[in-house]
Amino acid sequence: MKIKTTFVGMASFLVMLLAWPQMPSMAQEVPAHAITNVTIHMADGATLVSADIVWRNGIIEQIGVNESIPFDAFIIDGGDSLHVYPGLIDGMATWGSPETPRDLPRLDNPGKPPYDRAGAQPQRVPEHYLNEDKAFEAAMKAGFTLVALGLDGQMLPGHIQPFNLSAPKLTQAHVFANPLALQGSFETAPGGWGSGAYPSTQMGVMAYFRQLMYDATALQEHMMYFEKHSEMTQPEQNDVLEALFTLVNKEYPLYFEVDSKEEIERLFRLQDEFGFDVVLVSAKEASALSNELKSRNIAVLASLDVTEMPDWLEKENKEAKKDDEEGSESEEEGDSEDADDSEDAESEELTEEELMFRSKQKEAWEKEINNVSALLEAGIPTGFTSAGLSPKELQQKVDLITENSTLTKNDIVGLMTVHNANILGISNRVGTIKEGNSAHLILTDGPLFEKGTNIHIQVSQGVINDFMED
Amino acid sequence: MKNTLTTLLILAVFSVGTIAQEKGSVLIQNATLMTITDGIIENGDVLIVDGVITAIGADLSAPSGVSVVDGTGKYVMPGIIDAHSHLNTVSTNESRNPVTAEVTMEESINPNSVSIYRALAGGVTSIHLMHGSANVIGGQGETLKLRYGVTQDEMRFDDAKRTIKFALGENPTRVHGQGNGIQPRTRMGVEQIIRSHFDEALDYRIKREAYLAAKEAYEGDRRGRTAPPVPVAKNLRYDVLNDIIDGEILVHCHSYRADEILMLMRVFNDYGIKNYTFQHANEAFKVAPEIAKNGAYTSVFADWWAYKFEVYYSTAYNATILNENGVTNSINSDSNELIRHLNHEAAKTVRYGETSEADALKMITINPAKQLGMMKWLEV
Repeated sequence: MKIKTTFVGMASFLVMLLAWPQMPSMAQEVPAHAITNVTIHMADGATLVSADIVWRNGIIEQIGVNESIPFDAFIIDGGDSLHVYPGLIDGMATWGSPETPRDLPRLDNPGKPPYDRAGAQPQRVPEHYLNEDKAFEAAMKAGFTLVALGLDGQMLPGHIQPFNLSAPKLTQAHVFANPLALQGSFETAPGGWGSGAYPSTQMGVMAYFRQLMYDATALQEHMMYFEKHSEMTQPEQNDVLEALFTLVNKEYPLYFEVDSKEEIERLFRLQDEFGFDVVLVSAKEASALSNELKSRNIAVLASLDVTEMPDWLEKENKEAKKDDEEGSESEEEGDSEDADDSEDAESEELTEEELMFRSKQKEAWEKEINNVSALLEAGIPTGFTSAGLSPKELQQKVDLITENSTLTKNDIVGLMTVHNANILGISNRVGTIKEGNSAHLILTDGPLFEKGTNIHIQVSQGVINDFMED
Repeated sequence: MKNTLTTLLILAVFSVGTIAQEKGSVLIQNATLMTITDGIIENGDVLIVDGVITAIGADLSAPSGVSVVDGTGKYVMPGIIDAHSHLNTVSTNESRNPVTAEVTMEESINPNSVSIYRALAGGVTSIHLMHGSANVIGGQGETLKLRYGVTQDEMRFDDAKRTIKFALGENPTRVHGQGNGIQPRTRMGVEQIIRSHFDEALDYRIKREAYLAAKEAYEGDRRGRTAPPVPVAKNLRYDVLNDIIDGEILVHCHSYRADEILMLMRVFNDYGIKNYTFQHANEAFKVAPEIAKNGAYTSVFADWWAYKFEVYYSTAYNATILNENGVTNSINSDSNELIRHLNHEAAKTVRYGETSEADALKMITINPAKQLGMMKWLEV
């Protein structure tokens, strides 16, 4: 009997050991979260209806229909009417960045300024410069769960670093990943006429940038020699030049804020000389250079900040629509000739010069409004940057663009999710709703960007922010 | 008839408006041809194929597909070249340092400026897009073909000589000396800026070449017995200054007074620099023999002066006097307005000093072409 009892006890112990991994989670595990009974929008545009999603510890564990929800999960019931999208990503913003001081002291020698007065601060990393900014909460409420932050500055403001938008005030605890690029632009040295410095022109910025790269190359070489030959002169300590080693060695791309076609062509000259990868930021005229962008493998974080439709064109479109609607009635009543006469009378009031101007203005506006759709059609990796647009302004621009170009609202969601994740090189963690990905989600009561749709919940790295509680 | 003008001197036909923006081939028939180097040809034909003048003569026939223009009663001359222009710059002056040789107007071209169209309407087909005169040694210039509606690259002359802007006198001493309390504050300071920077550039070249040689020796030494050199960074500014000394870059120097003109010639003789042009040079008439003797050129206004103190002592006979002393002189505009009637500006040299019409025309065609190092395009 004693032997049988011992044997049973030992056998039970062995079974328990083997079954240990399958046993229910112990109390010390972080509880799961689940949203059930929702329409989940997948990366390829497909949707999973009446589906469930579970995440734990910031990582998506399960996606599917009729999933077995863990017993410890906090459940949000979607009621079969809500939608889950991947969290939106802003490809580059400078929220929270300290602004360049306005009243800079006059320099004794503006031709030889300190690096920061020339606008060269590539050594700065956003996680060390996080100020309070209302833009963070506004973005969260608009469905953004991740932002690649840059810094306010001039030719080389600093690094680009991605952050989780999980709280209205960001700290180093919200860093999503290490810096992934350097930031650049053709902005000249700060200070204006009275307190400015070299470089004060775009051609000056280009020359100064070249010299920085030559100096960084020499310093890196010196440091390399010194490592093996400590008897030689010690290289200088220079964090600005050292920050450029990643560009010299082509380890980082340069995220360059630029809009006009000619400025993009000038950036190509720098790229040809130094060979680093480039990502265009804002890039409102990038589609004019689609072939070149494609051959250079340049991605674009596009701004949606397009100009409003010209008033005369808006009026013309409205009248055309009204005419179409009233067209059949007019024909029946025989009023069509009178309608044509009144149109002719109005166009007669315009001079030939005005008509030519309007034609060119329309062409230019249509080119601008179709910039993003043209980039996508050309196969250029294209994402999104808010470029200073508030969420309210963004909605207006999305409406304007989708009504007047081939871009759809789904396309725009794509720019802000999977495309941005690909361009930023973080698609293995975010941008799509996938098991194993980071839990960056939003819960809405309708399709994103449609009129009347509200963001109920925003989840960033598993942290839930409920905006419908009020 | 032997072809004496080639690609650069693109034909401009008076009172024919639409051809200018098309590129390629055209036959102009039965016009009065003002060749500049080979006299005037009455009832002549000019054939251009793919942008090159391929034949000049009589009764030429157009190859298939080439349009024909009837030049009867009209005149054909080379397109006017403006040797001093800021017509379509994005920025003109990088004025924060007395020496900015490293910047270049090649990276400051605005191809969309309507001024291009207006200049073409005035018969100007090429310009020397220049840096401004704020600095003693300013930025490099760029010679452009005027075409409206093309890219910035398409405007550039691929094989034109590189040029650079120098400036003497009131402008650099005001901007840097008066404005920032740094050298130069006087004309003697201007001279020393030039000399000291040339000396620094030559010194840098010696050190850079020594470093490169030592680096090659170190990296090629498999036995590891050679010590590595302390790297000497490539310096864009000094590289350009060395290119000036080596004759790779032509200097165009904003200047007015006779004393500073003489000063620069002395400095350039010390460094072996040749083929430079004095721009504006209102007092050049005072030292015309010296300018001719040094092989220097001038590019002047017809009759524009008294807008600054150093420009008071001037004469409308300046161009004529220079020409009669054997100086290769051009007439320029330095103005988006004057550029539209440079032919009239050149004509003023006929009025003031009885320069011949042929020489007056040279001042807006072949002379600026020489000053801009475009001789490759001319068969002389």
